[in-house]
Amino acid sequence: MQALLVFLIVAALSLLASSRSLLDPGRFPALAQLAASGLLFLIFGALLGPSVLGVLSPRNLDSLRPLMALGLGTGGVLLGLNLEPRLLRLLPRPVYAAALAHAGTAFLFVALPLSVPLLLSMGLRPLVAVGAAALLGAAASLSSGHFAVLGYRNGRLERARGLGVALLTMMDDAVGLGVLALGLVLGVTGNAAEGLGLLALALLLGVACGALLAFLTYSLKDLAEQTTVTLGMVALVGGAAAYLRLSSLLAGVACGATLALMGGRTAERVSRALSRVERPTYLVLVFLVGSQIHARDLSAWALLPAFVGLRFLGKVLGGTFAQRLTQGVLDLPPRFGYALISQGGLALCLVAEYVMLVPGSLSQRVLDVVAVGAVVNEMLAHGAFRHVLAAEPRATPMRDTPPTGDAGVAA
Amino acid sequence: MVLLAAITQAQAVRVDAGTPVLLAAGALLLCGLFAGKVAKGLGLPRLTGYLLVGVAVGPYALGFIPNAGVKGLELVKGLAVSLIALVAGTELHLGLIRRVGARVALLCAAVCGVTFAVCFGATFALKPVLPFLSPMTVPQALAVSALLSTVVVSFSPTVTIAIVQETAARGPFTEFLMALVIIGDLFVMVAFGLAAGVTRATFGNGLDLPALVGGVGWELFGSVAVGCLLAVAMLLYMRGVNRELPLFLVGLSFAAAEGGARLHLSPLLVSLAAGALIANLDEREGRRIHHAINQAGLPVFALFFAAAGAGLKLDALVTVGPAALLLVALRGLAIWGACRRFAPAEDPRLKRYLWMGLISQAGVTFGLAALVSRTFPSFGPQVEVLIVAMITAHELVGPVLTRRALLGSGEIRAEEAGGGA
Repeated sequence: MQALLVFLIVAALSLLASSRSLLDPGRFPALAQLAASGLLFLIFGALLGPSVLGVLSPRNLDSLRPLMALGLGTGGVLLGLNLEPRLLRLLPRPVYAAALAHAGTAFLFVALPLSVPLLLSMGLRPLVAVGAAALLGAAASLSSGHFAVLGYRNGRLERARGLGVALLTMMDDAVGLGVLALGLVLGVTGNAAEGLGLLALALLLGVACGALLAFLTYSLKDLAEQTTVTLGMVALVGGAAAYLRLSSLLAGVACGATLALMGGRTAERVSRALSRVERPTYLVLVFLVGSQIHARDLSAWALLPAFVGLRFLGKVLGGTFAQRLTQGVLDLPPRFGYALISQGGLALCLVAEYVMLVPGSLSQRVLDVVAVGAVVNEMLAHGAFRHVLAAEPRATPMRDTPPTGDAGVAA
Repeated sequence: MVLLAAITQAQAVRVDAGTPVLLAAGALLLCGLFAGKVAKGLGLPRLTGYLLVGVAVGPYALGFIPNAGVKGLELVKGLAVSLIALVAGTELHLGLIRRVGARVALLCAAVCGVTFAVCFGATFALKPVLPFLSPMTVPQALAVSALLSTVVVSFSPTVTIAIVQETAARGPFTEFLMALVIIGDLFVMVAFGLAAGVTRATFGNGLDLPALVGGVGWELFGSVAVGCLLAVAMLLYMRGVNRELPLFLVGLSFAAAEGGARLHLSPLLVSLAAGALIANLDEREGRRIHHAINQAGLPVFALFFAAAGAGLKLDALVTVGPAALLLVALRGLAIWGACRRFAPAEDPRLKRYLWMGLISQAGVTFGLAALVSRTFPSFGPQVEVLIVAMITAHELVGPVLTRRALLGSGEIRAEEAGGGA
């Protein structure tokens, strides 16, 4: 019943979110922006979840975990598929340094100060509190380039600059995933060696599934069969990880990366097949993350301004560092840091994974702060990006550009 | 399979396992798809491959997939039945109903009647040896025998339609077979409602005739009404929004299956009515639905039949095996005899091959068996075991026979239809 309920809710919300009259960017820019990024579903999820209206009970949410695992697995495989080895080898070192600079600065700006209140307020072992603070930092380090993509598609941002922003925001995913891996190593069992073993098992599972997927899809010509194998493997990698209580996201990344490494044209076909289910899966995942928010946790609300404010400062400063590092290599827009404020979907994936694998009040608080923070950051990003555009000379519009855009998965 | 075995072994490192539902879905989907290809290579229906691999990796054989994982896939069953019925509905044109409707209904009544009589007699004769029947009074045993026989009569539109989709069979024989299994299920639904009411009365609850008629009427007419609403929603979507049609149909079928089950409607009939109404209102849209489900149906069908295979309780065959096998044989003989005797003479293929297409049992029979178990907790679970044992046998031979019937009729157009089962 709960699956039907979630399906009906998400379907109704999708119709609502696709209504151009209701979500006219001219009349309700903030709502339209949230709908385009999918974060409107996070708000609806929070409203319908156990802590506000209670349409979905904690038991319902528990039984919907396979859907969460599917969303995380799908997200992971898509991220892994983006790790195109040939492209990564072509990138010059300053690009890596710049990505690390903006992601690392935001990470340090958030993780270091926030570890203090976490240590003091929860009465936990230092390692656990530091792990949670690191997760907050990891979520803060992530940025979404969808404003830049929309900007250059609408002709308001020069294309090379838009692509530069998109490239650097994609590369910070590695920082987030690395910190998630570290947080899970430290937090899942409380024993670092055992945690490392479980992380290795998750990656091994992903590599095995990726290799198998490359092998199975190599000779398939029929589109329906390709889609079936791809969906089956994504479900298998996410489901096996969830069953073994490993990270579905990291196993998915390993699976996608292995496929990208081995698959060649197969990887493209898998990517196309997955792109057909990407948006619905993402929206369901965002909705489920929203429904897990504990809206009445005052401590989370207290941490929220610090999280958002410190991240903002970290991104602006990190953006300046990144700009200096890439001078002559990448053409980035002026006030680059302001283009990095939007947080994107991977941050939600990180905290969803963390709360699934390290249950408890601390991980729940991390989820609350990051999920609400993502909405706030999205709203701030809208205004912040105007500063970027204000300093930008008028660019030529793209011919194949849709007039108003859906940002797609804001990851 | 090796990867799945390794995952099962790796579970030893985690004492408290997480949810196995998604693992079951992924594993069954992949194993099912490739087993289907192997089966096709061996000249068997793909569906048999899905079922057999499900049995093999399921909890009752190799045990690679936990029981909880298979149970968690119940949702997929409703979705697959709904999608298959939607496709079948788009084939039900008024012209076809006018052409064969009366003859099909007559033959269906004859086949169902003969099969019911044979199974009823055999079940009652087995009273001394069947543990759940032996302690009952004669009226009670008669009522329970009637209830069990009603369920045993049922056919499998799901399997038939899936095989027709797979082989792209077209022609009068195929139309006749599909119409027969669909109308047969309607007969069974009505008969089941009546038999359940009578059984309830013999066990001391009294015969509540208005409730009985109301329940059966709601299931039939309510399903058709909801199906018509669904058809209107689909037409509106196709004319207004018209994006991602396969995804929309999967979603709507899922909602129809789950919502229908909650409202005590027949998901099969709901989707069938929806498909039929669309096909008769707008033939072009009907063809588009057919095409869209062919695009999106393969994962759903492979998963559905593999999950059905994994859910087959092989241990049930051991406990009630002899009685079940006897009933399987008698049912087969009754269907064969009734078809030979009553099938229209103008097409000799009907007399010769039609019975083969009526042997399968799947979703509807499972559903009715589960309903018996829930409605009559004192003896229902044992009846369910017997019926499930029969389904196991029917699922293994039924698809092969259905394919053979279509092959014999000469109406198979392609070895491989796009999508399908």
